[in-house]
This record gives sequence, structure tokens and C-alpha cells, in this order.
Amino acid sequence: MADKATMDPLAMWREWVAQSERQWNAFLNQAMATDEFSKAMGRFMDFYLNVQKGMNETMSRYLQLVNMPSRQEVLALGERLSAIEERLGRIEGMLARQATAPAGAASENGAPAAPRPPRTKKPPTPKG
Amino acid sequence: MTAPAGDASIEVRVRTEIERAIQRSIKGLEYISTGDPAVGLTPKDVIHSRGTLKLYHYRPQADEVYRVPVLLVMSLVSKPYILDLAPGQSLVEFLVKRGFDVYMIDWGVPRPEDARLRLEDYVLDFIPDCVERVLEDSGERELSIVGYCMGGQLSTMYAALHPGGPLKNLACFTTPVDSDGMVLFKRWLDPRYFDVDRVVDTLGNVPPELIYASFDMLKPAQRVAKNIQLWDNLWNDDFVRSYRLFERWASDQIPFPGECFRQFTKQFMWENRMVRNELEIGGRRVELGQVRVPFLHVVAEHDHIVPYESARPLVPLVGSEDKREVMLKGGHVSLVAGGNAIYRLWPQLESWLAERSV
Repeated sequence: MADKATMDPLAMWREWVAQSERQWNAFLNQAMATDEFSKAMGRFMDFYLNVQKGMNETMSRYLQLVNMPSRQEVLALGERLSAIEERLGRIEGMLARQATAPAGAASENGAPAAPRPPRTKKPPTPKG
Repeated sequence: MTAPAGDASIEVRVRTEIERAIQRSIKGLEYISTGDPAVGLTPKDVIHSRGTLKLYHYRPQADEVYRVPVLLVMSLVSKPYILDLAPGQSLVEFLVKRGFDVYMIDWGVPRPEDARLRLEDYVLDFIPDCVERVLEDSGERELSIVGYCMGGQLSTMYAALHPGGPLKNLACFTTPVDSDGMVLFKRWLDPRYFDVDRVVDTLGNVPPELIYASFDMLKPAQRVAKNIQLWDNLWNDDFVRSYRLFERWASDQIPFPGECFRQFTKQFMWENRMVRNELEIGGRRVELGQVRVPFLHVVAEHDHIVPYESARPLVPLVGSEDKREVMLKGGHVSLVAGGNAIYRLWPQLESWLAERSV
């Protein structure tokens, strides 16, 4: 069997791919666990955040200039909408609790929820 | 005249490889031209929604169900359909067919305004709220919770802060508690070089691309090797189907709510408070010894995201008398989904839950 596997060039190639992956992962993980790498990542993150901050500020000034709401203003609106949604959810929940049906269950395809089976199941008894 | 056995074998191999090469070309085109496979197909009802959160109830598929309902809690950085990938590859479908009454919290994709969400919101508000809804919907007074990865952390925190609560059983999969065991993540989030305050203040939610890149960097050569493996197996429909399902999920990351990321980085990654029982949520200390319900922790032998060293202290720290750790072959994802999970994790979970769900 072993001979057959070693003689099969495709099997050898697959084994080589798997081994190379392991070796590269181990080698790169070692390099990424160094202080230098963490420092470089920190610098990259700084650069990324600076670009992001600059873009945010420029875009916000531009939107103000053309009399459009800024991202912050849209987010504030979103927050207010979420608060309204939450309140509606609470009212809906209270109404559903007053009704006899389970709390407003709605299937994803709109079909009515099926009747529930009894909660009487027992674990299978071990064999022997 | 017949060819010698060795020659015949070579002939068969060559013919097989030629056939596979042809199939690769045909199926390669198919692979590029077809869309993502459908996921999360187990029939379900939305019984509660709040912001981006949705609480699902999966329709029972057995004649009778166990008395105690099961609530699945997912991580904040991944979509929950890994637990309901596709028919035959779904933990949810398996549990439902085996007679469990299954619910799941889908955190949804955080919106920019969700950047203010903190661990307090998840542990002291969202989970207890969903627990209450499950009890109401099922008509029961207690439930079991199953948490995966960070979902396991949130569930454990919930259990520790609600010792008198309705929780009957808690099962966690690959749940980290000791950040010293997460060597690479710890290095990359080194407070000397990583300014978490600036990240959250500038970006709000942590973008999914950053999260995806950090997971990818844990096994940097994997992407190339996986592509080679895919090419090699393009003729094999089962392999391609499974590959696409997992790839879809792995690349379908969601943003990490900003404030929660700040807390998580400082309290868990930097100060390693969870393992020291010093984690504070809403001014209350999370003491893992307060978890007293039957407890199961399943870890994966080859987990590169949550290495065993970071998950090992969980079972010794919880205060339950009935507690168990099970180590199974596989990695972080193959533990819960795919062929590996079908034969290893799922039956283990079923037998553990069944005898504690009556």
C-alpha cells in the first residue's frame, strides 16, 4: 500500500501541498508572533484610521456645503427609528400576550404556525 | 494478449485523471456561473424581533418533543447559519428531527447605530429577554442553552449572572476563557501598538473585512492550499457543494459592535479577566463558579481560532457538579458542521441533552 502511494505522483503532489501548507503556516505564524509584526500592524492600523478620519471629515464638510445630512445626522435618525421600533415591539409583545395564540409567530413564508407536538418525549433507554 | 496488472493500473489511473480534467473544465465554468448555495433552510418562525435581533423557533418535526426547549446562542462576529447550513448538514435540523424544541438567537448584522451596544446589552438584556420569550412560547419554566464560540462566552456570562434563573442545562462549543492561550490574537491586539479606543472612536463598528482578515491570518497559507484542493476536487460534486457552503459562511462575516469590541479587547484580551473571575458586566462580577447547572464543554483538537489552551480552564472554573469536557477531532468550524460533526459532535450533544431535557 505504502509503495503504491509513494509511486503515485498525484498522491505525492497532494501530500506535498498539505505539507507545504503546514510548514508555511508554522513559519508565518512564528513571524507574526513577533513584536516587530505587532508594531507594523499597529502602524498600518494608524495609517488606515488616519485615512478613514480624513475621509469622514472631508465628506462631512462636502455634505454640509451641498446642504445634505451628514453621516452622523443619518445615524442619529437611525437611532431614533430603532427606539421607535423597540417601543412598537414592546407594544406588539404586550398585545400578543393578551391574545391566546403564541406571541405573534409569523413563519418566514407567511404560512400559519403548525400545531405543537406534546412535550412528552423520553430519552432512548440504553441497550443491554 | 492482456496487459500486465501494473500497466492496467496505470492505464486506469491515466484514464481517470483525463476524465477528471474534463470534468474540472465543465464544472469549473459551472462553479463560476452559479450563485451562492441556499443556507438556513430548516422551517422556522420568527417569534420575536428587536432591532437587528431575531428569535427563531424551528418547527418541530417529531411526533413528540422533549419537555425542555433548547436555545442556540451564536457568536457576535459570525452568522448563525453555520448551525443550519443545508439539509443533511444542519445541527438545527438534526436536533429538531431528534425531538428537541429548538430556538435560536440571530443577532443580525449590526447597523452603524449599534456601535453603542455593550456586553451589558447582550448578557443582561437581549439574552434574558429571549429566554423569557422562549419560556412564554414553549409554556415551560426552564430551558437549555447551547452557545458556540463567543456565543458560549455570552451564555456562560448569562448563566453566571443569573444563578437562580430558568437555565436548566448549558452546553458550550469551543468557548475561550483564557486569552493567554490565544497567542496570535493577543499579540496583534498588544496595547502598546493597538489603540482600541481610536479604532472604535473612528470606525464605530469594527468592519467585517478586518475580522475576516484576522481569522485568515491565523492560517495564512490556507487560502492558497484550499484553492489548489478545490481545483483538484472540482470533478467531485459533494466536495464542491460542501466547499461552497463553508466558504460562503467563512467570508460572510459581520461587523463587531464597537463598544462591545472595546470592552472585549480591554477586559478579555488585555486584562484576561474572565479566567480570573474579574470580568465586570453592569457593575457585577462574573464569577464562573456561580454556573451550577449541568455543563458540557466540547472542544476541537485542531482548533486554530480558539486553541485548547484558551478553552481548557472553563470546565474547572464552573461550579456545576455535573460537568464534562469532551475533546473531539476536527477544527473550529468542522466541529459543528460537516461530515465530522455528523458523526462526532451531534450524537454526543443529543445524548447529553436528551437525558437532561425531561
